Amino acid sequence: MSEDKILKDLQKSILEYDSAGAVSAAKAAIASKMDPLKAIEKGLVPSIESIGQKFEKMEIYLPELMLAADAMRSALALLLPLIPKGSGKGTVVIGTVQGDVHEIGKNIVASMMMAGGYNVIDLGVDVKTTSFIEEAKRNRAKVIGASALMSSTIGSQKDIVDFLASSGDRKKFIVLVGGGPTTKEWAKEIGADACGMTAVEAVKLADKFSKGR
Amino acid sequence: MVQLLDVMQKALEGKPMSETDYQLRSFAPKVAEKVKEHKIKYDPQNPIPNDNSLADELFEAGLELLLDVGAYCTDTGRVISYTENEIRQALKQAPSKLHFGEGRDRKHLVARKIEDKTPPWCLLGAGGGPCSSDRSFLTLVEGYAEIPETNAITTPAITRVGGMRVRPASPLEVLAAQRNAVLAREACNRVGRQGIPIMNSLATAESDIALAAALYPKFGMRQSDGYMICCMDPMKVDFARLNKVAVALSMGGAIGMCFGPMLGGYAGGPEGTAVSNVAHHMMGILTYQSSWLLPFTIHLRYVASSSRDMLWVISSMGQAISRNTHLLSLNLNYTTAGPCTPMCLFETSASVTAAVTAGLSIESLGVATNKHEDRTTPVEPRISAEVGHAVAGMKRTDANELVKKLLAKYESNLSQPPLGKSLYECWDPETRKPSKEYQGVIKKYKHEMAGMGLELKPEMY
Repeated sequence: MSEDKILKDLQKSILEYDSAGAVSAAKAAIASKMDPLKAIEKGLVPSIESIGQKFEKMEIYLPELMLAADAMRSALALLLPLIPKGSGKGTVVIGTVQGDVHEIGKNIVASMMMAGGYNVIDLGVDVKTTSFIEEAKRNRAKVIGASALMSSTIGSQKDIVDFLASSGDRKKFIVLVGGGPTTKEWAKEIGADACGMTAVEAVKLADKFSKGR
Repeated sequence: MVQLLDVMQKALEGKPMSETDYQLRSFAPKVAEKVKEHKIKYDPQNPIPNDNSLADELFEAGLELLLDVGAYCTDTGRVISYTENEIRQALKQAPSKLHFGEGRDRKHLVARKIEDKTPPWCLLGAGGGPCSSDRSFLTLVEGYAEIPETNAITTPAITRVGGMRVRPASPLEVLAAQRNAVLAREACNRVGRQGIPIMNSLATAESDIALAAALYPKFGMRQSDGYMICCMDPMKVDFARLNKVAVALSMGGAIGMCFGPMLGGYAGGPEGTAVSNVAHHMMGILTYQSSWLLPFTIHLRYVASSSRDMLWVISSMGQAISRNTHLLSLNLNYTTAGPCTPMCLFETSASVTAAVTAGLSIESLGVATNKHEDRTTPVEPRISAEVGHAVAGMKRTDANELVKKLLAKYESNLSQPPLGKSLYECWDPETRKPSKEYQGVIKKYKHEMAGMGLELKPEMY
């Protein structure tokens, strides 16, 4: 199969929210000995970026965004292990904080981070403070993203920052917070690196801080 | 009649499914299918639709959606399915009238119809918005209790105890929820409305343990208050929420399920969001054992309910419910703009008009997206209630013209709304009145409303 055809299949699979198609195209890329970084950057990324832009304009909605991200995740699971460490933008560990089960905002940011070129480890909802940190260390993440929707749960965002500071690990990770009651003032108050008011802003902040604080 | 044990049995024995599959591969495509099958179409030129067949199609689409996809229990990973007979029986047996409150503040919440002249039930306050201190909490709730139209209070949420931020499901949350109960009652006592019901019991109790702990009688909560339990979107439940149901039922409290399918979220655009809202009403009376409902759909981008498409969602789903059921449903609205701005008052006027003329009652409101501490005052819910009373009985066609005029005032600013002023910058807790500046904003607003054809009560300052 030609390289062009494989790249087109990768692009199409994301645009059509087709996980099986994404896996099949990724396998074809590997079989043809295509540079896996090229398969990602020329095949998957343009399509997921296009999906992200459509979502921002509300031309498509959350289910389509998440299905496209799911397809991308399926292909990345095959391609990423073949890429030398140090390539790509790095890993983001993301979740909704302890005691909070709201997931929509977190899902949007996770999908948009993936669209922005990050390897995203989604820890789900009601994630313990220590789990954020353990998973960030285990996956050598650059960024920890902590979402909270309730005024009664944003205190857990502070716990993540405080735990990192107390254990001498604060400088190892960029901590981004977000969700309904969070503000830039809150992020500053608790010592987080920043607060993303939208998913797009969260990706921009991750890009900015990944280059150095 | 489906009862709590039936819900548990269904949650334990229903069809196994992953949460992702339920949301993305069952719920979302089925919503789109129902929109298509029932030819439901959003009309931006008419944010208040005047079409009974649309309301009826929406009702059928919502019923079919619940029938097809059921609810979902995240703790068991199973679908909670209902038969058509169970859904229709629950609709038939749901109360059309409930009593809340004590003494002279004991009132009836009654079902309303489209263009109904009966004033809406006014559940007024902060809708669980965050406040910084006990002082702010008392200032706000005293102010809400003094509004003549207040039928019930929706309190703010307490965010700190002993100088510490509340942590979920911790002793801090338990203590904060208990304080929420005590202070809410105390604030009502201070202004002579001892019997008024608290209907978002309890805003500070996100966890089941905090709610249960705050219901010990000495903290002052009553059977005649309203017990609000928030649904996980879309149509999901977990054991913690069902624990709250069990606790509220055990004390004979009336449960109100609040639910907020986001416009742009799992249900898609305005059409799907309206269908989802209708389905949530039916799911609430079954799964959450609700006797009243509280829809609070908000727009994914604006985090508010005042945009054109949101007004259409509120009105169309409200009409579907009030034409086809006798359910007790109160719409909660959020504004983008903050206190002491005309935009905030215009936004809440539009959302309340959409809800009340569609046959819903109101919970009002979350100000400035309800995320900033102390960025709300008793003025905004008072104005919402005055508008709610003024538009009761208004024809949908007239309401449509009114909200179009209101939209013209603020629609272009929804992306960058003014945050306005904080509580003590524009409200005097000693005189219990808005600041001179805010009084000026209100007078100008009322003058402009009169110019749009809606005369509101004169200001008494």
